[in-house]
Amino acid sequence: MLRLFPLVALTLALAITLPLRAQTDSLTPLQDALQSVQEHVASPSRATVPAVLRALLDADAPGTVDFLRAWGDREVYERAEDGLFFYALEAPDRMLALIDIDSGAEAGAVSTRAVNQIRPNAGVRREIGAALVSFELMHPEASRRLAALDNIARSPDAEQIEALTLARDAEDDSRIAARMDRLLDLLNARFATDTDVRVDAIDGLRGDISTEARRVLNQILQTRAEFAPEIPEGTNVARIRAPGSDIELIAAYATLAEAGLVPARPGRNAIRDALRRNVVDGAVGGIPVHQLTSDEMRRAAYAALEAQGSVAPLVTEDDMRAAVREVVFFDAYLEPDPAVTDAARDALDSTRTRISLWQFVSISLDALSLASIFFLAAIGLAITFGVMRVINMAHGEFIMMGAYTGYVVQTVIPNYTTSLIVALPLAFAVTFAAGVAMERLVIRHLYTRPLETLLATFGISIALQQLAKNIFGTQARPLTAPDWLAGAIQVNDVVSVASIRVAIFVMAIGFLAMLLYILNRTRLGLEVRAVTQNPGMAASMGINPDRINMLTFGLGSGIAGVAGVSIGLVAQVTSEMGANYIVQSFMTVVVGGVGSVFGTLAGATLIGFLQKGIEWFNPANTLAAQTFMVLFIILFIQFRPKGIVALKGRAAGD
Amino acid sequence: MSLDIPRNTAAPAPSRRSFLHENPSVLWFMGLLGVFTVAVTVLSEGFGLGLISTNLVKVLGMTLCLCLIAIAMDVVWGYCGILSLGHFAFFGLGGYAIGMWLMYARTEIVIRDSLGRGTIPPTELEVSEAVAAQIFGVVGSSELPLIWTFAGSLPFQLAMVVLVPGVLALVFGWLAFRSRVTGVYLSILTQAMTLALSLYLFQNDTGLRGNNGLSGLQNIPGFLHVPQSVLSVWFFWASAFMLGAGYLLFAWVVSGKFGSVIRAIRDNEARVRFLGYNVEGYKLFVFTVTAVISGIAGALYYPQAGIINPAEIAPIASIYLAVWVAIGGRGRLYGAVIGAAFVSLLSSWLTGGGAPNIDLGFYRIVWTDWWLVLLGLGFVAVTLFFPKGIGGLFDYLVRKKP
Repeated sequence: MLRLFPLVALTLALAITLPLRAQTDSLTPLQDALQSVQEHVASPSRATVPAVLRALLDADAPGTVDFLRAWGDREVYERAEDGLFFYALEAPDRMLALIDIDSGAEAGAVSTRAVNQIRPNAGVRREIGAALVSFELMHPEASRRLAALDNIARSPDAEQIEALTLARDAEDDSRIAARMDRLLDLLNARFATDTDVRVDAIDGLRGDISTEARRVLNQILQTRAEFAPEIPEGTNVARIRAPGSDIELIAAYATLAEAGLVPARPGRNAIRDALRRNVVDGAVGGIPVHQLTSDEMRRAAYAALEAQGSVAPLVTEDDMRAAVREVVFFDAYLEPDPAVTDAARDALDSTRTRISLWQFVSISLDALSLASIFFLAAIGLAITFGVMRVINMAHGEFIMMGAYTGYVVQTVIPNYTTSLIVALPLAFAVTFAAGVAMERLVIRHLYTRPLETLLATFGISIALQQLAKNIFGTQARPLTAPDWLAGAIQVNDVVSVASIRVAIFVMAIGFLAMLLYILNRTRLGLEVRAVTQNPGMAASMGINPDRINMLTFGLGSGIAGVAGVSIGLVAQVTSEMGANYIVQSFMTVVVGGVGSVFGTLAGATLIGFLQKGIEWFNPANTLAAQTFMVLFIILFIQFRPKGIVALKGRAAGD
Repeated sequence: MSLDIPRNTAAPAPSRRSFLHENPSVLWFMGLLGVFTVAVTVLSEGFGLGLISTNLVKVLGMTLCLCLIAIAMDVVWGYCGILSLGHFAFFGLGGYAIGMWLMYARTEIVIRDSLGRGTIPPTELEVSEAVAAQIFGVVGSSELPLIWTFAGSLPFQLAMVVLVPGVLALVFGWLAFRSRVTGVYLSILTQAMTLALSLYLFQNDTGLRGNNGLSGLQNIPGFLHVPQSVLSVWFFWASAFMLGAGYLLFAWVVSGKFGSVIRAIRDNEARVRFLGYNVEGYKLFVFTVTAVISGIAGALYYPQAGIINPAEIAPIASIYLAVWVAIGGRGRLYGAVIGAAFVSLLSSWLTGGGAPNIDLGFYRIVWTDWWLVLLGLGFVAVTLFFPKGIGGLFDYLVRKKP
């Protein structure tokens, strides 16, 4: 590192003085400077790099940084005839188009044989890289400095500490300075030579939940499994592993055998193979082959062979115990200094609590997003099922219809934002019409037979599903979100939320508000509630229940269509997408309590949080989460058959 | 009415007409089933003229199993009024129970054969390890799950065919009926049960090979040398026998006093309860018995189908079952048989490429694409216009006679 110091200081001086110094008069200042150290540039070695840098510093030509980068990346060529340096582009016929390094203008094409590519070796390239880093760290433009810091974070290494420390002292921007401080902590924690510096740096990382900080701490805490007759002096032991409890006896013995300290233990397969090799006249060790159908018999035969001395000895459990008793098995930190590892473990422990807290936040946000999807899918159903007591198995297909409407609109209108704005009301209109048609043609005739409504709507559901398959094919169709919804909101390294999910959440809230308004504040809502409570009385008050039923059903179906567009944005649009949501939607309605918007909200929230909660315990398995959720719902209905929000009195019906 | 009326005249004795006389349809059904069985046997490749391919014999045998579960569904729905959307789950469980034995025993035979060729005979441990690796290699495991412990024992797995669906139905039904879940709620709850079960089976680590399911079930251990043409007829006979036995059982169950009670539960549950009957007990009995019969039907079906996977248990299958019964005609056992046979055979004819496509000039109707549309709309039409289904047609025939 000390060796690097003059070089770093040099480039720093270059960077600091860059804006102050006047340009030289020459038209080709860079080329001139390079020619002054021609030999060192053309065949660079680690010893000569500082000379080149000094020359470049003196010349202070524009394009110096680009040249350094190109030099390191082996993109600089030397023309053989006059020793001038050029960049080059590939040209046809194995020719290179040379580019002047000062002006960037083309300087004619030459054969590849007429130039030498300059190939600095790895050591040289590292020096060039270090010079570049410190140069970039002092760059007048803040964005360049930040980019350089990101580079360091990506590939940290001990030699950057010095450059970074110098750059930190010269930094004015407080935001960048903070970032530099943290990077310094990260680098010091890993690479600093002085224990106190390292421990200080590690303490600085305490409670830092970013992945880079955790990675550094975990790297410090890396261990290696070892064994020895007794623990050697100066070993930084992470833990001692007792054979039989912390490490299996057989595994411990196998470790010793691998090191050649004890004879290998013949396993079941080894015994079998040895017997197989030693079959003599249909018998092994005096035992006929056909009797060797149990492990005991095989071991007996093996023992006979062992007595003859033709096979390796058997190792009994006692043998293994005795062997492992001779040594200690332990995990040792790769890091020899216990102060450092203690500090790192402390820091990591304190971070862990914060991380689980943030993870809880993250899971909750996920659950909220899932809940809003369930809510959107189920609220239409809650209206038809809750208000009209009609079970609509084709509800899922209305969701699918809405999503396909969005897809078709997107093929016509290429702009994603516009097409989304058009698709939402159009999907509502299409499914509203489909719902009204279904109510008029089928459901109206079945109001007295609810179980048969279930079946008839199921018939419609399979017909619609197959129709969609016939029209759009079985392939999944994409419904692309506009760019402004494509990203994610990154809170920190643990928590991030996709913008589209936020949009869906907002939409769910919007629908909730709209429905509450319609049901509680409009004439239509009044009539709907009247028909719900007592159709006969409502009719005699001059309300036409037929019309209300039709409109209610249309409204529920229309909402399904809009839900379809939003679900299509996060999931694939297929003819079966509706079927995937229908059972969950019913659960949402049943769990929440039939006939209540708030009930559906509660049901969706409960189911969303439940599913994510179960996934937290077993993250690898979403199927298991769904299974347990369904079981939970079955049990839940045992205890609250009418759901979370149960209607009371006459409105409850039966 | 006063109580002191002299009872000198004996009350008219309840008519002692025989069960079969009361239920002429049973005799008709048995006769037709017998004739059909004999006809198929005579025409089959294995035992007769070879006019019916082995494949068709299998399809017919499978159809008989579907008819069996359809009458079970008819009893629980058409007679007792419980629209269960979960009976196909019991069917699948029966299939899984027998499939475990079929797969384990056959793999064991193959493994013993190949290991036995070595110079040293295999130990039991080696055999069971090799069998486990063979069966579960596909889901990346080589250990035999706990539920397979007795998979090598036929009596045990046969008991499971009855016990697993029976116990599941008993527990589920007890929970559901006891909290008075009825109507569409119960339907959704049974559908949820089916969904949970199929999702559970779809997981690789539940020990039933995830979405690969169990396969090679058409090979019967112990009869590996018997050609499929003969095996298919044996299974056809077994299916026909079980269908006949199931029909007889259910016809007897629904014809007596018990039948009157469960029909009354269907029509007005509260009133039956007020009369002092233990409604939940009746419902639980019907639910459980039909589940057991469904399991048996499944255990006969899947060896003929050759493969079972969790998709078979998906909620949609149980809904199709309801569709068959509704199209055939609820509340009459022969209606369920007609519906199941008619719809499932028509379905395999139309989707199997047997039916000619219709060229309309401007559009070509490909039946594989349009069959489900036709089924769906036809089903709506049946619900709306013919609530009695195809079986309802028999009423006209019977009524014409004096």
